Amino acid sequence: MDPISRQAILDRIRKATAGGAPDVAGSYAGLERSYVRSGKLGADDRIALMIERLREYDAEVVETAPDSLAEAIQEQLAASGRRRFVAPEGLPAEWLAEGFEWKIDHGLSTAEVEQAEGVVTNSFCGIADSGTIVLHHSAAEGRRIISLLPDWHLCVLRASQVVETLPEYFARCSEAPVLATYISGPSATADIEMTRIKGVHGPRFLHVVVERDEPR
Amino acid sequence: MSHPANEGHPVLDPVLAAPFPQAAFTVLRNTQLRKNVAHATDVIQGKRNRLVAEKTDWQELRSAASALRTHVLENLGHYLEQFEERCTAAGGVVHWAKDAAEARAIFLDILRQEQASDVIKIKTMTSAEIQLNPAIEAAGIKAFETDLAEIILQLGDDEPSHIVVPALHVNRTQVREIFARKMNLPELSDDPKELTNAARTFLREKFLRVPTAISGANFLIAETGSVVIVESEGNGRMCLTLPKTMITLAGIEKVIPRFQDLEVMLQVLARSATGERMNPYSSLWTGVTPGDGPQRFHVVLLDNGRSDILARRGERQTLKCIRCGACQNTCPVYRQTGGHAYGSPYAGPIGAILTPQLMHLEHAQTLPYASSLCGACYEVCPVKINIPEVLIDLRAQVTDKEREEERRFFDPMYLGMRIANFIFASAGRFRLAQWMGRLGLRLFTRKDGWIHSLPSLGARWTMTRDLRGLPDETFRRWWAARDRKD
Repeated sequence: MDPISRQAILDRIRKATAGGAPDVAGSYAGLERSYVRSGKLGADDRIALMIERLREYDAEVVETAPDSLAEAIQEQLAASGRRRFVAPEGLPAEWLAEGFEWKIDHGLSTAEVEQAEGVVTNSFCGIADSGTIVLHHSAAEGRRIISLLPDWHLCVLRASQVVETLPEYFARCSEAPVLATYISGPSATADIEMTRIKGVHGPRFLHVVVERDEPR
Repeated sequence: MSHPANEGHPVLDPVLAAPFPQAAFTVLRNTQLRKNVAHATDVIQGKRNRLVAEKTDWQELRSAASALRTHVLENLGHYLEQFEERCTAAGGVVHWAKDAAEARAIFLDILRQEQASDVIKIKTMTSAEIQLNPAIEAAGIKAFETDLAEIILQLGDDEPSHIVVPALHVNRTQVREIFARKMNLPELSDDPKELTNAARTFLREKFLRVPTAISGANFLIAETGSVVIVESEGNGRMCLTLPKTMITLAGIEKVIPRFQDLEVMLQVLARSATGERMNPYSSLWTGVTPGDGPQRFHVVLLDNGRSDILARRGERQTLKCIRCGACQNTCPVYRQTGGHAYGSPYAGPIGAILTPQLMHLEHAQTLPYASSLCGACYEVCPVKINIPEVLIDLRAQVTDKEREEERRFFDPMYLGMRIANFIFASAGRFRLAQWMGRLGLRLFTRKDGWIHSLPSLGARWTMTRDLRGLPDETFRRWWAARDRKD
């Protein structure tokens, strides 16, 4: 780094903004924020909206009761016609359905992840308004590479983790994540004549199992 | 086969590009390009308008986004230092580049240290601004663009014409031709799905092999030192996850104070840019995370004229821009000419104000005139940049500068303005001029009450439209007569 350029740029900025707010924190706190923060929907409608939005993005969604979650995962895996799956280190053991080849990611190489036909992960949160799945890449959500290279991604979303609006997600973050991935449908492009094509580089198939863990 | 979108290589260097009117005149004859641009901008605008209409708090979100960006610019030094400190603490290396040349030198230094022979790139307009690719190639390093639109342009030896959808001026037939030729796939059809698959296969090998990546940034978060990238295809995720080294190029204005501010910025950006509630993928990372993603991470903070813009109170708002491209899609000028006529990677209304300022008004002086001042750009801008206001300010500055340099002393328009100034300064002179003008125009007024052709400079108007003849009585005479009657 050239310390001279750094200082020169900062000096120019300071000169240009001289007379700005002396109290940055106070000025920030006073910023206008009159947009909608909390949603209005009840639990059922919120989940229904989340599912509707996911389906608009061509994601496959199934709902399940808490006691049949493992079974629902098993069914999805079987229906996929795939055999080799990768799973994050912290994925609950009961989600690793029998009859499939599992590679647990204790630091798999790129080539090993690339060979998997699919991946199963947990998620941090769902945002109904935009149909967004949020990953903070904790132990059960996995490293970024495993939810990226395999062509088929099954993600578990608990109903209690679904918020209605984007600001509600931020309110749930007690601290900022170090890593985060926001997925709103499978990889897509509209670069050729604005025709939406699903599946460019990320997983082409996104499956979401919604666990209804809150009372209906 | 001809390349209608590619008649000669477009020049996006404002220093070398033709003045806007000249460049626009050439593209306006390219009907294929105009069709492509009109179609693409119609589709995005339609989607954007539908999604903005469903958002009941859209105006509140715009106000919040605008206030936030204004606050950042007023305290830019504070937030940049905070970003630097937090990013460094998280294992990143922060570089500062005062201009394009210094930024390129920093990149080449890092690439040499990495002994890179290839790099993969996430779409970044800032890299086009500093003309990074030619510099990298000159150093013997191959740069692979990975955004579908950018591959189309790179393989087709073309240049971006839109901030968000850079290849919107190219249609599927043209894409097929480029891919068939450059990827050696003679059997390829022009089905967008097949074309997209060809790009997927072409790039997969590069993602898995190339250990060095370059990205831009949508946002830098001061509070955490994180970088945010917003995309659709997943090429971004590939580039920021698989390589060993990541180098991010970001304009100094890209910083936002806190993680939570994304709740405003992401909502307005996705809707404005592509007409989606949320783009398919957004990624956030913070320095280096052991075992996950690139283990070496550099950020290059680029000034390149931005601190100058910051110092101009009226024009400072230009830097609030989050590069959504909504102003381009709605602009009646851009929609006719497409992006290349602007001679800069930043086209459309935002380009018309940003480019000349980045050039210290030394180049691209015709761009502030590339607008009808209709105000559509201001209306759709998610951070409320009053583009028409800045355009008018810049026009005044361009004119003042030219007058100082006496470059226009004998220019007919400048002379005309001076004469008008002389006439308007006195009521007597004005009356006389009006009388003479009416007398003169009467010679050209036909029986139907219209003027169909005028000589000399006036012909520029009547070449394409008729002019109504002047009525017999002037307003001033009518007004005076009315006073007498009372």
